[in-house]
Amino acid sequence: MSVVVSGCSLLFWSQTCQVHGHLNFNNPMPRWRQNLAVIRCCNRGTWEIPMTQNNYYDLLGVSVDSNAHEIKEAYRKLQKKYHPDIFGQKGHEYTLMLNKAYEVLMTEDLRRKYDESIGPMRLRFGGNNTQALGYSIWKGPVKPQALFVDENACIGCRECVHHASHTFTMDETQGSARVKVQYGDNDQSIEVSVESCPVNCIHWVETEELPVLEFLIQPQPKDGYGVFGGGWERPANVFTAAKSFNKQLKRKSTIRHDQSPGGTFEESPAQAEAQARADMKIKMEGFLKIWNWVKETLGMNINKNLQ
Amino acid sequence: MVEPAYTVTSDSETTGEEKSSTFPEIAIGIDIGTSQCSVAVWNGSQVELLKNTRNQKIMKSYVTFKDNIPSGGVSSQLSHEDEMLSGATIFNMKRLIGRVDTDPVVHACKNLPFLVQTLDIGVRPFIAALVNNMWRSTTPEEVLAIFLVELRAMAEAQLKRRIRNVVLTVPVSFSRFQLTRIERACAMAGLHVLRLMPEPTAVALLYGQQQQQTSHENMGSGTEKIALIFSMGAGYCDVAVTATAGGVSQIKALAGSTIGGEDLLQNMMHHLLPNSENLFKNHGVKEIKQMGLLRVATQDAIRQLSSQTIVQVDVDLGDGLKICKAVNREEFEEVNRKVFEKCESLIIQCLQDAKVEVEEVNDVIIVGGCSYIPRVKNLVTNVCKGKELYKGMNPLEAAVCGAAVEGAIASGVNDPFGNLDLLTIQATPLAIGIRADGNKFVPVIPRDTTMPARKELVFTTTHDNQTEALILVYEGEGEKAEENHLLGYFKIMGIPAAPKGVPEINVCMDIDAANVLRVLAGVVMPGSRQPAIPVMEVRMPTVDDGHGWCAEALNRTYGATLDLVTLQKKA
Repeated sequence: MSVVVSGCSLLFWSQTCQVHGHLNFNNPMPRWRQNLAVIRCCNRGTWEIPMTQNNYYDLLGVSVDSNAHEIKEAYRKLQKKYHPDIFGQKGHEYTLMLNKAYEVLMTEDLRRKYDESIGPMRLRFGGNNTQALGYSIWKGPVKPQALFVDENACIGCRECVHHASHTFTMDETQGSARVKVQYGDNDQSIEVSVESCPVNCIHWVETEELPVLEFLIQPQPKDGYGVFGGGWERPANVFTAAKSFNKQLKRKSTIRHDQSPGGTFEESPAQAEAQARADMKIKMEGFLKIWNWVKETLGMNINKNLQ
Repeated sequence: MVEPAYTVTSDSETTGEEKSSTFPEIAIGIDIGTSQCSVAVWNGSQVELLKNTRNQKIMKSYVTFKDNIPSGGVSSQLSHEDEMLSGATIFNMKRLIGRVDTDPVVHACKNLPFLVQTLDIGVRPFIAALVNNMWRSTTPEEVLAIFLVELRAMAEAQLKRRIRNVVLTVPVSFSRFQLTRIERACAMAGLHVLRLMPEPTAVALLYGQQQQQTSHENMGSGTEKIALIFSMGAGYCDVAVTATAGGVSQIKALAGSTIGGEDLLQNMMHHLLPNSENLFKNHGVKEIKQMGLLRVATQDAIRQLSSQTIVQVDVDLGDGLKICKAVNREEFEEVNRKVFEKCESLIIQCLQDAKVEVEEVNDVIIVGGCSYIPRVKNLVTNVCKGKELYKGMNPLEAAVCGAAVEGAIASGVNDPFGNLDLLTIQATPLAIGIRADGNKFVPVIPRDTTMPARKELVFTTTHDNQTEALILVYEGEGEKAEENHLLGYFKIMGIPAAPKGVPEINVCMDIDAANVLRVLAGVVMPGSRQPAIPVMEVRMPTVDDGHGWCAEALNRTYGATLDLVTLQKKA
């Protein structure tokens, strides 16, 4: 077991040297990015994926039909938090994106072109679609525990797919496994599948944590500047990122809770179900907003409270 | 030319005495104008202007090299104003700093009592002060550093703590090269520059704070307000259009020019004594005295014309040379018609760049010493369709107060009452680009781009099998490369041999919020995603002396062999 892991690390290390030896960036690349770069080189199919940009509406936290006043207000609020004058040099990259998003959305023709270009993506991340790509679905009732594959650690051996093909699937683009249907096979097959994983990248997690983890493990498109940057990125440690993510969500929830009037009432089952769907929708729409903050934080390999 | 390491010291500086404090070291704001200066600091609840030992908040910007001991206008007192014009005193240093000897502004300073000489080949001008009947050379940076040492000593004495961080106001039209000279002068004085703020931007920050306080008092939601800020001092004229809401001031457009009260004064002096250039050419003791007398008389006349419509000028220059003339306001305005027209065009250009109609402007703010001139007020009011001027600011203190507020914000001060809950989103005053397309200036970052900024353009080779490219980085607005300021250069080597037009050369420029410019360049061959050669990253400016001469020499040496053209997008 350990020999195999060591072999994989050596493989990554040597390939990383070969591929990036001639780059002279001042800052050393984060480790997760090196791994991703190796994967990217091994899979030629990656280059067929268009280099899409971050969603400017989600970046600013506004809806796609918001007016100029709302965009200005959101822009100013975010600038007040993340401008380098206030947030320090760490805010530089984020503010660059903010300025670009503001420039595009505030210019009529640029915004029209942008709306056309993000048409397909909007269906994935917004709207009422609860079957978004990459999110696992449930067979039968929702249980307290769920399966999650840490794709950073996955080596693509296909053992889990072999033993529980209704639960796991291979992402051919990324070369890693992931869960498609929770509890798609019987308990015994799932147990064998988890045990057979040579790198222990399949985890049992709390069901309530699953959406955040599955969202964060997806590679997010990163804006490129010609030869500088580009490609895809995701946090190296998805569990740490989920903690930061949840902390941020909790803070927002606290603010929202303080503003709402007190008092609770008993819900009927239908109301509870509708509430759960609405909560899920709100979470997914808010994910991308917080995602950029998580990127910023993890990019520095620092996990600290924003305030 | 390697500049010698300087250590400027002052008797007031107490070495070794350093009091430990639990408070953050708050940066002070300094506004060194061409003729006057002031210092301010955030004292915990508001901005406070510091005073010197003679209880003055606004001091004159000069350094006197009398008796070989230089002293500035902060601590010393001239026995009479004529002494400032005796040749031993250097002033207008803000106008001279960072300029080459082909600059018309430098040539205009030849009419001043201290010595300014030029070779007109693109090197630094020679500057000297008359000390004990001997011309002693100096540089604008040194003069500014001496002055800053005194400002620092005054501030430390008053605040009773060590001062290290400063925010300085600068003219909009200052090039990056001039900004580096300012920073160098501060370093010589033992000061670290936290921010260099264009003067209208500092005023915008103060305006934002006032709007924030008004909004708090009225329990308002803070609607957006558009302000036109016009700033004209002795040396520079600057204009800005800003949008302010919720404590955030967005600089939408900036415009600036090297015109100011000094130009009005020189034009008036020439009007009173048309042959003055020839008379004062020798720079002898007698001529210096005559020059000073004429300058003082003209200055007095201009000041009086702000409050009365006609003034009598009576001055005896000696040697039978007398001026006895009545000057009225219309005459003064006619003599300086071009200066005022230039001011007006700056305002119009700024409004156009900001895409703001005059009717949309909520407040018109005029600051600077020249704001007291009736013609200046009228021209601003006329452009703004008779809109009333904003009255909430002291014209001479607004910029330094804004700098002090920025100093507090950048130092991380947290005010519980929300008075520092502010932000200024700055914009680039000048375009930055490279030379391409046959000696053209191709902007990569256009003027008025919001900071921080990062933009890129793709270029390609002009010759078959071209393996090198010369990247010349310029700053300015001229269409030809040489019309702008050369910031720096580097050479891309090792481009894979290919027919012309095939290699893709990415040039990316990045400006951070502290206004640091980095230029990155990489080469990509079509069909490949990996850089063909190591990416280069250069912090600009790299040219730090005689840049006019450098540009011509580079052109003479390399010609067009290493040129680039803009790559046309394949639609």
